[in-house]
Amino acid sequence: MHQSKLVRTVRTIAGWLVVGAFFFPIYFWTSVAFRDSKDIFNWPPIIFNFQPTMRNFEQVFGISFGFARQDAVAPGGGNFYMAPRLWDSIVVASMSTVLAITVATFASYALSRMNFRGRHQFVNWVLSTRMMPPVAVAIPMFFIFKQFNLLDTYIGVILIHGLMNLPLAVLLLKSFFDDIPAEIDESALLDGASRWTIFRRVVLPMAKGGIAATAVLCFIFSWTEFLFVLTLTQTGLKTVPVVSSTFVTSIGTAWGNMAALGAAAIVPAFFVVLLVQRHLVRGLTMGSLKQ
Amino acid sequence: MKDSDRKSYLASVTDRFVRGQMDRRAFLRATSKLGLGAAALGMGMGSRPFMLNKALAQEEMQPSAEVMAWLKDVGKPFAGTTLKFATESTPPSNAINSQLKKYFEEATGIKVEIEVLPLEQVLQKMTLDVASSLGTYDLYYIDQSWAASFSQDVFDPREQIKAKADLAMPNYNIDDFLPALVDGISKYQDRWVGVPYDIPIFIMIYRRDIYEKLGLKAPATFEELYTNSATITKEMGPDTFGYAGQMKSGHYALECEWTSMLWGHGGSIFNADKTFVGNDERGIAALDYYTKLKDIMPPGVNQWTWDGQGQAVAQGVAASMLSWGEFFPFFDDPTQTKVSGLCEAVIPPQPISLRKPEECGFGEIPGVGHQGGSSLAVSRYSKNPDAAWLFMQWATCADTQALVTTLGGGTGPTRASVYDDPRVKSHARVGAGTTRHLPVVRETIDKYMGSEPDLPEWAQISSDTIPVALGKYFSGSYGSSKEALDDISTGIAAVLKG
Repeated sequence: MHQSKLVRTVRTIAGWLVVGAFFFPIYFWTSVAFRDSKDIFNWPPIIFNFQPTMRNFEQVFGISFGFARQDAVAPGGGNFYMAPRLWDSIVVASMSTVLAITVATFASYALSRMNFRGRHQFVNWVLSTRMMPPVAVAIPMFFIFKQFNLLDTYIGVILIHGLMNLPLAVLLLKSFFDDIPAEIDESALLDGASRWTIFRRVVLPMAKGGIAATAVLCFIFSWTEFLFVLTLTQTGLKTVPVVSSTFVTSIGTAWGNMAALGAAAIVPAFFVVLLVQRHLVRGLTMGSLKQ
Repeated sequence: MKDSDRKSYLASVTDRFVRGQMDRRAFLRATSKLGLGAAALGMGMGSRPFMLNKALAQEEMQPSAEVMAWLKDVGKPFAGTTLKFATESTPPSNAINSQLKKYFEEATGIKVEIEVLPLEQVLQKMTLDVASSLGTYDLYYIDQSWAASFSQDVFDPREQIKAKADLAMPNYNIDDFLPALVDGISKYQDRWVGVPYDIPIFIMIYRRDIYEKLGLKAPATFEELYTNSATITKEMGPDTFGYAGQMKSGHYALECEWTSMLWGHGGSIFNADKTFVGNDERGIAALDYYTKLKDIMPPGVNQWTWDGQGQAVAQGVAASMLSWGEFFPFFDDPTQTKVSGLCEAVIPPQPISLRKPEECGFGEIPGVGHQGGSSLAVSRYSKNPDAAWLFMQWATCADTQALVTTLGGGTGPTRASVYDDPRVKSHARVGAGTTRHLPVVRETIDKYMGSEPDLPEWAQISSDTIPVALGKYFSGSYGSSKEALDDISTGIAAVLKG
């Protein structure tokens, strides 16, 4: 009994240490957002005992938390006014996720259920597009986008992020559809349901968890993507990872402002995960037990 | 009283009032002479000098009516045009982007979109624009190390003035740009690759309080820099070290500091035959000195660019640095650092000997005051070159530079006349955006400036070949300084050979 209590205590302490190890960097980064520059690089580091300030958030989010464009910022709004860029990120990540998931759901269902010549090669081909380094595509994409007037537009960035996520989404969703027994489709077919009805009414609700898990991954990949946004945008829009690099100035890095934007950028991604959390757990464990 | 004198007087009395050097009654009496009286009191109510000057700036830092009238007149045909400009996040670009471009836009109807990026990303965007000749940007921000690479891709401003007399700004006075900066930043062979836009330059910055406490004088020579720094490290270490370097392995910052040491020891990167000579006996002496100096610097210095170096001084970890003058206003800002009012700027240490420019190759000019900086130029591929030329003239004219210097936080002007502008001089006091270091910057430009070679391969050599090998040397990968420098020599020869 005594030993069991000891083990429990050790386990609890170990658990808290692990949680602390994950949580501490987030805490420290967030706390930097509330510090004046002179309180950031102290030695020994200050963990708790600093004078909090909202200055960094005021500069990053302007006077009001509106979604005005950069040129609508009041004088003094400054070069670190980034609220519109957070909005850009939300639009791009959400819409590209919708695009990738919509296309990938149809494609992966077809790959999972339909027999056509070259099906396996098709899957390999989809996978191979992920093997190419993005930098090899970025510059040709710049010329193509310029030709089609897609440079520096929401549609352009949504399209490229959607395309970037598509192979991964197709492969993931295919594996989720594969885990749903084909006999269910066959039973429905015998009952007179059309392929579309089976897909919409039978298979899709069963694959909800997998779709949610895939959507979260697509959202996060788009949310953190840097290279394509850097190459394919100018002043019209920018996402959080790209504008984060603009805090690096010729006279030093504005760490406080960068942390303020970084801390705020965690929130939308966190809410997306929270919204689909229930499905996410189901999706991630789907197929872990074979019949 | 002239308008400029009035502004200068107002700034001076308000500053004295805020500092408690003048009582309220005397302040009101002084400002009433300007017809402001109690209205001026609001300017002095801020608790921090920065707030005062921000308030004052908004009241008084307006562009010249003459310049605005010219813009209004000449800009009419271009109303509705949109200009695009990619730039590094520098004090001038930030001041223009956030506070000044609205005046240009209102007067001309030309919209200016400024894309602020880290330096390497600016290079990437410009390279893509030039390679494609698409004209996605109308104006180029050209770092001095890229001048040779982009020299054929921009208009020479002297040609623009001649060719477009109707668009030339009256009193633009291209000869007002400091000749040393034109040579060091904007000239490649006989062409002007734009006009000098900003000028970060190495000056000596040290902690006056620490130096006084230990009975030391500001270092005038490299030997004094070492002995002073060693004394401070010995007396105050490990809390405070005598000197902080910018020695990040593989980073351009390391190349900048090394060249300063190299030039200061009588060496140079190239000789007149355009061969690398940084590995001669002067080069070896310079690297040995640098190694000795590193030993009394804070641990971790080989991970710092100028950013970490500046933070070390700002946090009181280091008592001196030889670095970009545009950092100085940052040290004076009480919200940013713990050393506000404690730092002083002096000219860089005198060189042990100095090689003459004619003994060097590729236009290299030895001098301890390592010059950085950039030019502003109109792209040859721009679809709106005339509108871009108007913007370029406005952004680099004396009036705008004075505003940029005061609003942009004490950055170094590239025009001679701006150093004497009363608006600039009125900010020469302790506080954010101070200009009290500018006389030192000016003197360093005039007498002690060192300029890197101009050759198309320089961007690769300065940002890769040299700093990578130096980084390996400082991490102990070479047996001696000679071995490291010989390796750099081999690397540069390979780059030049293509």
